[in-house]
Amino acid sequence: MWKRHKPADPPLTHSKEEAYEATPSSQEPQLSETDGVNSNVSSVALQYGLPAMGVQPKAAAAGAVAGELTDAEVMLRVKAGDDSAFDFLVQKYRRPIINFMYRMAHNTAIAEDLAQEVFLRVYRSRSSYEASAKFTTWLYRIATNLGMNYSRDSRHERPENVMNLDAPDEETGQTPDLADKTPSVEEEIMRRERLRAIRQKVEALPERQKMAVLMHKYQQMDYRQIADVLKLSESATKSLLFRAYETLRTQLKEFV
Amino acid sequence: MKCSEIRELFPDLAAGLAAAEPEVNDHLRACVDCAGTLEEFRKTMALLDEWQAPEPSPYFDVRLQARLREEAAKQPSRWMAWMKLSRPALALSLAAIVVVGAAVFRLEEKKIRRSKNGPVAANIVPGTAVGDLQALDTNHDIYSDSDLLDDLQVQEDVNANP
Repeated sequence: MWKRHKPADPPLTHSKEEAYEATPSSQEPQLSETDGVNSNVSSVALQYGLPAMGVQPKAAAAGAVAGELTDAEVMLRVKAGDDSAFDFLVQKYRRPIINFMYRMAHNTAIAEDLAQEVFLRVYRSRSSYEASAKFTTWLYRIATNLGMNYSRDSRHERPENVMNLDAPDEETGQTPDLADKTPSVEEEIMRRERLRAIRQKVEALPERQKMAVLMHKYQQMDYRQIADVLKLSESATKSLLFRAYETLRTQLKEFV
Repeated sequence: MKCSEIRELFPDLAAGLAAAEPEVNDHLRACVDCAGTLEEFRKTMALLDEWQAPEPSPYFDVRLQARLREEAAKQPSRWMAWMKLSRPALALSLAAIVVVGAAVFRLEEKKIRRSKNGPVAANIVPGTAVGDLQALDTNHDIYSDSDLLDDLQVQEDVNANP
């Protein structure tokens, strides 16, 4: 723990406010299938030894106990000085936020730096936090602003996508194990070509459309939540998303 | 339902985030265009699924904890915290001081102007000791000038009769 913990506070557990979380249906760690929010981070924290990395055993154990705190209520505890509550929020949202930033930055290391900046900004603003809006709306608004700024600043700095089958992936840094995982070199080339096209076409969308697609497709956020983050009406968000997917449908037709 | 209304539902339907209402299904059965477009949306969604994000690095938490510790150590001093908390009170106090100061200044200015221009003997009851003293005090400048005149007269006499 990096600061202090108020033992008298009620236990932390996963939020009831996240509409887009996967429904916890088993006793296993409930990482969502896609990149959405982990639905039961506390159980994951206990199983993978996160206490050693900063989450107090007490707070993590408390998280495993059923309780009913929304993220906004947890954030109010952070505001009151309980930093273990902030650890809980970090563990819950770090993966979705890193993935969100990754699809904007197209680079793992930069995505993690940007995600850290998101959490730092949340922590710095804790004293002015008001529970008037959903915590996730606030969190994704910060992430969206940072991501947009990064995209604008680095638009001309990104290297051209040059496909080299022997080279590691320019975004993930991973070298594909062709012998074990892919039946043929041709298929791997095709897969990389498809991926490159997806990245390029999503990147080429107008800024708001891109953000809406990333939140809808990869964060499983509903229209209302996306509308709140982008400060749009729900109907405007619906038509924004339709236009974005319509563009992707026509531009990615050859790969479907 | 119109085609345009149905099509706005396609993102959720194709992503599997919502189930089609009976009236939507009725429309899709009747409208080949909409049914075809929805099918293409589904294929596009499946294609987009191929873009997977890598796992967070194991150092992410360690680095974030270090940065948070730094942030916690940078907490503002007590004086700054007091300033932050009592900012409205401070602003109100300063405003009150400015208003009171301006009022006092105006009153003083009026007093000075009245003493310069107003009749000296307005509140003086002539013939009383206090009245005489006040008259002497307020007309001090005039009496001084008179004394100077007297001196000049003496000087003239000296010049005339050396």
